[in-house]
Amino acid sequence: MASNNIVIGIAGSGGDGVISAGEILVNAASSDGLFVFMLKSFGAQIRGGESSVRVRMSSEPVATQGDKLDILVVLSWKDYLKFQSEMLLEDHVVILSDLEDSFPEENIPISADKLKNWYKIPFNQLATNSAGTSLAKNIAMLGVISELFNLPKTALKESIKKKFSGKREDVIEKNLSALKAGQDYVKKEIKKKDSILFEYTPGEPRIVMEGNEATAFGALYAGVEFYAGYPITPSTEIMHWLSVYLPRYNGVVIQMEDELASINAVVGASFAGRKAMTATSGPGMSLMAEGIGLAGMAELPIVVINVQRGGPSTGIPTKTEQADLMQAIWGSHGDAPRVVIAPSDVEDCFDCTVLAFYIAEKYQLPVIVLSDAFIGHRKESINPNRFRDLKYGFKKINRRITPTENELEDYHRFKITKNGISPVTWPGMEKGMYQAAGIEHNEKGFPSSDVSVHARMTQKRWDKFREIKREFSFERFYGPDDAELGVIAWGSTKGAVKEAVARANANGIKVQAIIPQILYPFLIQPFHDFLRHKKRVIFVEMAYAGAFRRYLRGFVRFGDFDVETVSYRQTGGAPFTVRQIYDKIVEEYEKKDA
Amino acid sequence: MDKVKYSLKDYKSELKPIWCPGCGDYGVLNALMQALVKLQIPPHQMAIVSGIGCSSRLPGYINTYGFNGIHGRAIPLATGVKLSNPDIKVIAVGGDGDGFSIGAGHIPHAARKNIDMTYIVMNNNIYGLTKGQASPTTPIGEQTKTTFYGNMDEPINPVRMMIAYKASFVARVFSGDPKNAIEVIAQAIQQRGFSFVEVLSPCPTFRGVEQFKLIREKVRYLPEDYQPTDEVRAFDIANDNDFIRLGVIYRQDRPIYTDIMRKMQQVSEKMGKPEILDLLKQFEP
Repeated sequence: MASNNIVIGIAGSGGDGVISAGEILVNAASSDGLFVFMLKSFGAQIRGGESSVRVRMSSEPVATQGDKLDILVVLSWKDYLKFQSEMLLEDHVVILSDLEDSFPEENIPISADKLKNWYKIPFNQLATNSAGTSLAKNIAMLGVISELFNLPKTALKESIKKKFSGKREDVIEKNLSALKAGQDYVKKEIKKKDSILFEYTPGEPRIVMEGNEATAFGALYAGVEFYAGYPITPSTEIMHWLSVYLPRYNGVVIQMEDELASINAVVGASFAGRKAMTATSGPGMSLMAEGIGLAGMAELPIVVINVQRGGPSTGIPTKTEQADLMQAIWGSHGDAPRVVIAPSDVEDCFDCTVLAFYIAEKYQLPVIVLSDAFIGHRKESINPNRFRDLKYGFKKINRRITPTENELEDYHRFKITKNGISPVTWPGMEKGMYQAAGIEHNEKGFPSSDVSVHARMTQKRWDKFREIKREFSFERFYGPDDAELGVIAWGSTKGAVKEAVARANANGIKVQAIIPQILYPFLIQPFHDFLRHKKRVIFVEMAYAGAFRRYLRGFVRFGDFDVETVSYRQTGGAPFTVRQIYDKIVEEYEKKDA
Repeated sequence: MDKVKYSLKDYKSELKPIWCPGCGDYGVLNALMQALVKLQIPPHQMAIVSGIGCSSRLPGYINTYGFNGIHGRAIPLATGVKLSNPDIKVIAVGGDGDGFSIGAGHIPHAARKNIDMTYIVMNNNIYGLTKGQASPTTPIGEQTKTTFYGNMDEPINPVRMMIAYKASFVARVFSGDPKNAIEVIAQAIQQRGFSFVEVLSPCPTFRGVEQFKLIREKVRYLPEDYQPTDEVRAFDIANDNDFIRLGVIYRQDRPIYTDIMRKMQQVSEKMGKPEILDLLKQFEP
């Protein structure tokens, strides 16, 4: 069975080199121009323990990790057991396992019909004989699968060379011989009984990024100058990356004592005129709520990235969820204005972060970017040229507006204007001294408990929303406008929804999806356009309480459109599969005639 | 040449303080402004930040860049300002509740990082803004609105705590002794690094006029031969139960954060500063 779209899962223990094998494979495929999607999954242990990786490669664009595995490589059955529920198998699955694994066969939790194509390979022995160390067994394994399934072989060699380029020369040699040993073994010893063969035409090389890297890169691109943060899974890679690069461009990265300090340092930096940001996850976000309110009150631009994880409380830190939506929108006391935007894949992490700085600086308010572990920790291959032509280019992300000489004669920092935006100064500017405050204040910035001042200034802070709603109208639609069945989703569920909608339409089931990027303020027009022909819509979200659906129903009067709404949701952890969404689409589609 | 460019009126904002009559904070505000006159710091070249409390209203009364932030977070707010613009003089002010209760977790970190700022705490041993509850410096046994049967908690000794945290500069002054307060606050502002001044600032409204009298009876200057660089001696002074010693109690010069930060930036620049888009190279497979 020739295929241009293949999903490979590898499971083993921490020392088996599972992740680096996955990365080498991803890099090889990307340098041959393939579309690649890679997900890692770990146990809770920091070292050792079980780990797994899933790589999907295709010559067509891919939006998800693929529902089921075409190929499963088990370096240790004991460790595979931990990932059973995350690694579902196709009926035609090909399984490769280590010959020396002493795990009792009768305990392998895979039905006999899926064990038809099972090869037991002496990975350990191949590595020891060729490289002189069993450490190279992951590379020998890559040799085996590249030969057996026709994966990019030349690119694999290059990818291995690059991976070990900092090491001693013989390390590269040893690994290359392990690769060859694996390939030779297949040629000599294996009689191919499965029919999976990967076929593709090499194209222009693509780059490989993780969502958190794309976020950090987007921040640097947008001109971030100050980052204060506190380590928290699954967001920390953003701080790691910026701590390497931001200082080179005269920026500051500081690790604070907690998230309370982080958010206040960010607000202080913004007060001092800098483009400032932090990144965190759920628990840190809870601690930052008061500081985000302060930025709203003091009208200071800040960008806060929340890489969501499973909650509440400590929850499941390494797994994904979409349950922080309401916290992002409303999570501060008082009428605290902020903008909330949600990236939907790795590229979008970059776009949303750039957009966040654009909005924050222009409108002088906090912008929250709601990423999640599913996007933040996955790798995707991306066309490098897409970064060169952007709507909100580097030059266009201007700093907040400052007052004119004339305005400084009688400076009112919080001057009421048509669009709510007032020119701002910062320490060091000779004129324009003022007091920023979390306490209610008049246009000059002086404290006031006058109710009419509070009414006017609250109105002023929210007037910005009118302008934002005017400026942005972009939404993502997938599928035909005149479909009567609709899907509404946000953030990282986009991938599965997009593929399910495409599959449904290909099968004659008319359905259209809308995936908003700016979640708050709510841009209503695209939803009205979307609903014009709809009879029934499905809300898809990875959150038990269904906050997204409730949120939308506060703005959109579905009843007026004579639209029935259905909620499809699950708690976080494993992301939705395309099949799940597809089946739901079919189920709801069939109801139309009932 | 010694022309005075900035006088008291240049530092006074148009906002009138709303503290209670007899509040020690009037004296602190005055001493701080006099110290600024003495140092001739241009009003636009500094930032005074605070948290929440009676004393945290102070930034609004000075004509400069002020920031009246949220409860307990004056120090991280000040850190953000200082790191963003190391040429700005940064002063954080607040009370004993703001600093030593809700905000106490930030102090050791600003001190160990040696963030170049001056932190002035107006200590009145009570929560004034919320009308009379126990603070972290309220003496044991005292009745307040939340300690009806007497305060049970050992009070914090701010000077001893700051010496232990290795703040660069630790001093104590009394709002009723403006001459000394001006001199010491001016020195604190000049100190490179994290400098701390505890100002005994009585609250006649909730602690009565007795508090003022008691402080005046117990305060003494440091001995003539006192050397603030001796840490052991500094602890002895901090632990003195007979007298409350006023002056610069501890001082040590250490490299400051923003200097180290600038050096780091220079080192990092040598590792390459390509066009931002050229950084994409690292993501090539």
